[in-house]
Amino acid sequence: MTKDTIIQLKDVDVTFHNKGQTVQAVKHVSLDVQRGDIYGVVGYSGAGKSTLVRVINRLQRPTAGQVIVNGQDILAMKAKDLRQARTKIGMIFQHFNLMNARTIADNVDYPLKGGKLTHAQRKEKVAKLLDLVGLSEKANDYPAQLSGGQKQRVAIARALANDPEILISDEATSALDPKTTTAILELLKQLNKDLGLTVVLITHEMEAVKEICNKVAVMEDGEIIERGDLVTIFSEPKQKLTRDFINTATQIDQALDKIYKQANALGLDDHHRLVQLKYVGASTDAPLITELFKRYQVVSNILYGNVEILQDTPLGNLVVVMAGEPDQLDQAWQYCRDAGIQVTQLNPNDSEVA
Amino acid sequence: MKLFAQYFPNAVTMKSDFLQATGETIYMTLFTAIIAGIIGMAIGVGLTVTQPGGILENKVVYNILDKLVNLFRSIPFVILLAVIAPVTRLIVGTAIGTTAAIVPLIIGSAPFYARQIQNALAEVDRGVIEAAEAVGSGPIAIIFRVYLKEGLADIIRSSVLTLISLIDLTAMAGAIGGGGLGNLAINVGYSRFESDVTILAMLIILVIVFAIQLCGDLLARHVDHSA
Repeated sequence: MTKDTIIQLKDVDVTFHNKGQTVQAVKHVSLDVQRGDIYGVVGYSGAGKSTLVRVINRLQRPTAGQVIVNGQDILAMKAKDLRQARTKIGMIFQHFNLMNARTIADNVDYPLKGGKLTHAQRKEKVAKLLDLVGLSEKANDYPAQLSGGQKQRVAIARALANDPEILISDEATSALDPKTTTAILELLKQLNKDLGLTVVLITHEMEAVKEICNKVAVMEDGEIIERGDLVTIFSEPKQKLTRDFINTATQIDQALDKIYKQANALGLDDHHRLVQLKYVGASTDAPLITELFKRYQVVSNILYGNVEILQDTPLGNLVVVMAGEPDQLDQAWQYCRDAGIQVTQLNPNDSEVA
Repeated sequence: MKLFAQYFPNAVTMKSDFLQATGETIYMTLFTAIIAGIIGMAIGVGLTVTQPGGILENKVVYNILDKLVNLFRSIPFVILLAVIAPVTRLIVGTAIGTTAAIVPLIIGSAPFYARQIQNALAEVDRGVIEAAEAVGSGPIAIIFRVYLKEGLADIIRSSVLTLISLIDLTAMAGAIGGGGLGNLAINVGYSRFESDVTILAMLIILVIVFAIQLCGDLLARHVDHSA
């Protein structure tokens, strides 16, 4: 284990027994999160991702495996030590889980009671936290008076009350509208940058991961089927599920759907081919289309284009119809591949997306 | 006063009886409410935290509490009054009188209150409990600072309900010489065909019940911030 590994899950199994039925929610999962990571765990509901992260602060005791957080064996801890360790692992939830009977300030203050701070210090701390999440003027309101996004901000302030080093976000943006989601994700990213907070982000939306994560794991049926840094996963997804998630996020799915529907109008044949071009990083900037025409007299008609900036790396997707002589087209493709561009010929009759 | 005398010819001559009976009813109700309140609250919280999925899940404790509550809730109160007599004698020294009535009243109402508390606490969002656990709260903190605080409005409503049903029970205390307004209504009003006494006793009970209901509703609304 390297010095910078802050969360280490080793061969974690979680099995539920319910009315004679056995459900293996998490199967032999190992996961290392480095200090300062924003680690995304993506999967459909029921994939076991929530169960997996609940193991980190032992809200869920695993059936087997090892959990090391900050060098401490979480599973071997006595109740009192566990409570102490939990103060350093913040958590936010899909439904915010605020206390309705307490004011906003009181909700944020809750984790501080019974701690070492004096009353005055606590008050100051609460004010600072509310300022951090931009809700100072709501201090005396009750949760019922707040919007969803505001509630989640309060929940974040509460989670940060004891200066945790880790923040677990369990579908924290899933109940929010897109604009609010972006704002909350921005806040998480800012906290990651300013406080050095390590974030583990559970979600079923690849868009959220795309916005802020530097690493991703994809979960299916209790297993991590693919993992890696964000750019690699987005540029070279290996599993079908990963590709599905990415295509939904980049909206290339919808674009291809529309293109396929009017495939007849494209007049595709040997001289007119439908092609998807994918490129990462610098090659985005090359005047590719012009170059193809100059060198091979290949005319490219752009049907769809999208560039994502992931971790400051551009990732481009183009869907074009290339027109030209068959052998010239082949040469043009070879030219693209030599330039580090992925070329995939698309067949409108086959709905599988590359 | 003249009008009152016209409609309540017998009751008007029994001022001291009514004062005494009202005092006995209030005495039995308050005394029982305090003790049964504490016992019922403890059992209700116990049921909540030990039930399957609770923060101190414990099948044995839960089943014992659950069965006890069911057992005592299924005994009709008039029968309980008689059955419990030896125990009452052991505790207060006598099995008849107003104070003696308090023992069966406690045993009759505490399990009811426990169930009410359990229902009130069941309304506290499981996610909020989980959030408290996630910030490092232990069971004691979760009971006092989350369950009882978040469930307060419902607890007040349940308490009002229990208090009213308790007044209902005190009306039967006359069976063992416990006195009270219920006793006055039956043993004087009904038995001597002085129905104005019965009606006045009933009216006083209604006033007490409405007062409790009103105070409870106002209080519950005051602490309820959930909407």
